[in-house]
Amino acid sequence: MSYLEIQSAGKRFISRDGKPYEALQNVNLQVEEGEFISIIGHSGCGKSTVLNMVAGLGLATSGRVVVDGVPVSGPGPDRMVAFQNHSLLPWLTVRQNIALAVDAVHKDQTEAERQQIVEEHITMVSLTKAADKKPGEISGGMRQRVGIARALATRPKVLLLDEPFGALDALTRGRLQEELLRIWEAHRITVVMVTHDVEEALLLSDRIVMMSNGPSARVAEIMTVELPRPRKRIEVINNPNYYRQRNELLYYLNKAKKEKLLRESGLKIPQVAPKVSTGGLEKTELFLGFVALSDCAPLVIAKEKGFFAKHGLDVTLNREPSWKAILEGVLEDRLDGAQMVAGMVVGETLGMFKRSNVPLATALTLSRNGNAITLARRFWDQGVRSNHDFKRYLDSDRKGKGHTFGMTHPASMHNLLLRYWLAEANIDPDHDLSMVVIPPPQMVANLQAGNIDGYCVGEPWNSRAVHEGLGFVPATDLDIYPGHVEKVLGVKESWATANPKTHVALVAALIEAGRYCDEPANREEVIRLVSQKTYVNSDPIYASLGLSGAYDYGFGRTAQTPDFNVFDQSGVNKTERLWVLAQMARWGLVSFPNNWRELFERVYCDDVHAKAMAQLGLEATPSTYELLSLPDGTRLDPADPLGYIERFAIKRDVTTTEFKLPSRLLAV
Amino acid sequence: MTTTKEPVITAPTTLAAPKTSPQLKQFMDNASVVVLPLIALAIFLTIWQSLSAAGMTGSLPGPLQVVQDTQPLVTGFFNNDENDKGLFWQLAASLQRVAIGYTLAAVIGVSVGILMGSVRGFQLALDPLFQILRTIPPLAWLPIALAALSQANPSAIFVIFITAVWPIIINTAVGVRATPQDYRNVASVLKLSKTTYFFKILMPSAASYIFTGLRIAVGLSWLAIVAAEMLTGGVGIGFFIWDSYNSSRMSDIILAVLCVGLVGFALDRLIYYSGRLLVVSE
Repeated sequence: MSYLEIQSAGKRFISRDGKPYEALQNVNLQVEEGEFISIIGHSGCGKSTVLNMVAGLGLATSGRVVVDGVPVSGPGPDRMVAFQNHSLLPWLTVRQNIALAVDAVHKDQTEAERQQIVEEHITMVSLTKAADKKPGEISGGMRQRVGIARALATRPKVLLLDEPFGALDALTRGRLQEELLRIWEAHRITVVMVTHDVEEALLLSDRIVMMSNGPSARVAEIMTVELPRPRKRIEVINNPNYYRQRNELLYYLNKAKKEKLLRESGLKIPQVAPKVSTGGLEKTELFLGFVALSDCAPLVIAKEKGFFAKHGLDVTLNREPSWKAILEGVLEDRLDGAQMVAGMVVGETLGMFKRSNVPLATALTLSRNGNAITLARRFWDQGVRSNHDFKRYLDSDRKGKGHTFGMTHPASMHNLLLRYWLAEANIDPDHDLSMVVIPPPQMVANLQAGNIDGYCVGEPWNSRAVHEGLGFVPATDLDIYPGHVEKVLGVKESWATANPKTHVALVAALIEAGRYCDEPANREEVIRLVSQKTYVNSDPIYASLGLSGAYDYGFGRTAQTPDFNVFDQSGVNKTERLWVLAQMARWGLVSFPNNWRELFERVYCDDVHAKAMAQLGLEATPSTYELLSLPDGTRLDPADPLGYIERFAIKRDVTTTEFKLPSRLLAV
Repeated sequence: MTTTKEPVITAPTTLAAPKTSPQLKQFMDNASVVVLPLIALAIFLTIWQSLSAAGMTGSLPGPLQVVQDTQPLVTGFFNNDENDKGLFWQLAASLQRVAIGYTLAAVIGVSVGILMGSVRGFQLALDPLFQILRTIPPLAWLPIALAALSQANPSAIFVIFITAVWPIIINTAVGVRATPQDYRNVASVLKLSKTTYFFKILMPSAASYIFTGLRIAVGLSWLAIVAAEMLTGGVGIGFFIWDSYNSSRMSDIILAVLCVGLVGFALDRLIYYSGRLLVVSE
């Protein structure tokens, strides 16, 4: 049994008109001896009621509170409170105020011993000079210090702090927080503090309890503060965990506030599907990154249509400026997971991006296809219609300035498809022109400014250029490699190991969302939701060009392309993963690992996918390695990937390696 | 030496120069506190004197006449002859009655008030009764007191008591009930004993309310004594005024009334300052 336990405690008040009001319901909390706990929540969430239940000033109407094995039946000095407004007696001096408490509590000690305790605590809060002053003659900060000294002087088992610094100015508050931190770290007393100050809670506490809104408030979540002790404010605010956890807390509070406002305005919180019991998720509040593209649809739909909520997840979608930012966000734990370009998960694990080689994992292909190549309008005027036309144009234009193409990330399909398309027409993407990384939302502007001559990117950024007459689409990925892996759900391997159930729930929610997106009848709604300001922020007309199945190549050429964006995941030929790796090796982006099968076993969590499918009651089509054929007639045989690479005329120096798989670490 | 001294002398004078102005202003402010009331008094006396000179005040003498007529009373202020007690002794007799009645009212009023404030049953039982009783004019109690006590002096004291007790009870009860929940929480968390709670928390917390009640009460009791003595007779300032009227010594009345006013003011200040000494508020 823990030192302090709140066991399914509830609190019911009878309001003036005789109606019962359920302030708290089924509140459970275990506090260990010497732990510093903060309770955070909006006013009216019942956090002070919880504190009063522990203090015994307002007893629980159901359940109970047990301190050191004894159930709380009333107030007592073993659970001393430092009240919000200090509650010093104004007619007694600082010393007399503390002495009143010491004399009342330590009756068995001699007069001299009691005086000793009083003086000791006056010194502890550095108030020796003000000891003979009355509360009215000292500052608010000093008064609160006396309040804390009085509470500590009774040597309580549990110290209860009710918004102790709420009434103080910011400077004094900061000083007192550090003083309390110092005293606590020296004495390691069990503390329960109520506060609405996120920074205060992070600085002081071991764990932070987030209360849900009343009525019937309960413990919504408990966060363990990941900051080393002893803490100093300066060190704390420089710790990367600080901002992440602070954001999580602020996010929680904002969400709680929104829900409160919604309820007050009498509206129901929209939820499509009833919540199913998912049981024992390691983590329910997730931050996922996405880039503003039509194919972020599964994430948007899972959020907007309540698929995340249905699987017990509370997901915040963070719009990230680039794929680089996405990767950094996941590596720095700012994001739990993210939409990633196809080669990123394997690439980072192999150390392709120089900076690091943190093992990543993926259990889900979020989308297939959805890309197109856009060339600037002037090539159309020169008669360019295909890659071979473009090659002829380049040959005739040797004297012209070099050409530059934009793609989104070295490990992205945009890079690999664009290179493949160029090389197919005998254009060497590294020698005949140059390639630059440009985040998707900035492609059109760069094309317009003349910084690039063409690019390969997902929608709506091709349609946008077509629609504005800036360029045309000579090829989509349907022409190059239909049905390729486009975006995957990437997480850190350590995250996946630490949160196996959450991982399954997340994948299940996204599978459902993907199936929802693929339903032609839903496409119109999907287009509308994805185009919203918080997501792609684009006129729905552009997004619709990819998602609706009618594709405009520009200058009069249109086609029905129902497979332009595909989100359903059934029937996987695992060789598609190898194609991505082989192409990255072809262009010298990675050294080809001979033990690629072993690597794939680690990186692709097919077991998680299978569990998620089972949870949804869906039958998973077994994934196998099969021969992969592309429209140009090339074939990738999983038995001979190096031979496949060798057959390309245009390639870089291909190297192979025996990749040493890092040991599985639980480090988060 | 002289060269170093020079700037030392000049510096303070230049610094002091602008300082004299606020000091002077302060002095003027203080002076006006005394001077302005004196001017008002002078105007009042002048009007009174001129009205009286014009014969418009009936048998009421003018201020100059009053000063002339009351010369013997002033010189014989402490006169302690059996039949001609000086004003001092008249006032002392009245003050003695007030002291007895008021002290009784204070002791009983505070006790009952604490009971009513801390025990809800008392409050519910007594409050309606007290709300009616407190509106009865002091003199209405006199016949009842005379009938019950059949003596003039105790009856007068009873009237003082019954006049003064209500504001004390009511204010004390309110003060006790107004003890901040915070202080009660402190007491219950510390498990303070009943006596410690009473003396260290309840009384100091209610003190400001109690003193407000005491101050209202002292004014009321002084109001009541003059009226009561007019009816009961004997030595006392109230009777002196009534006696003077019967003897048509109008100037004496005016002097006596002035004394009543001054004593009433002094009593009010006495309670006010003792309250200030004892009550500590935030």
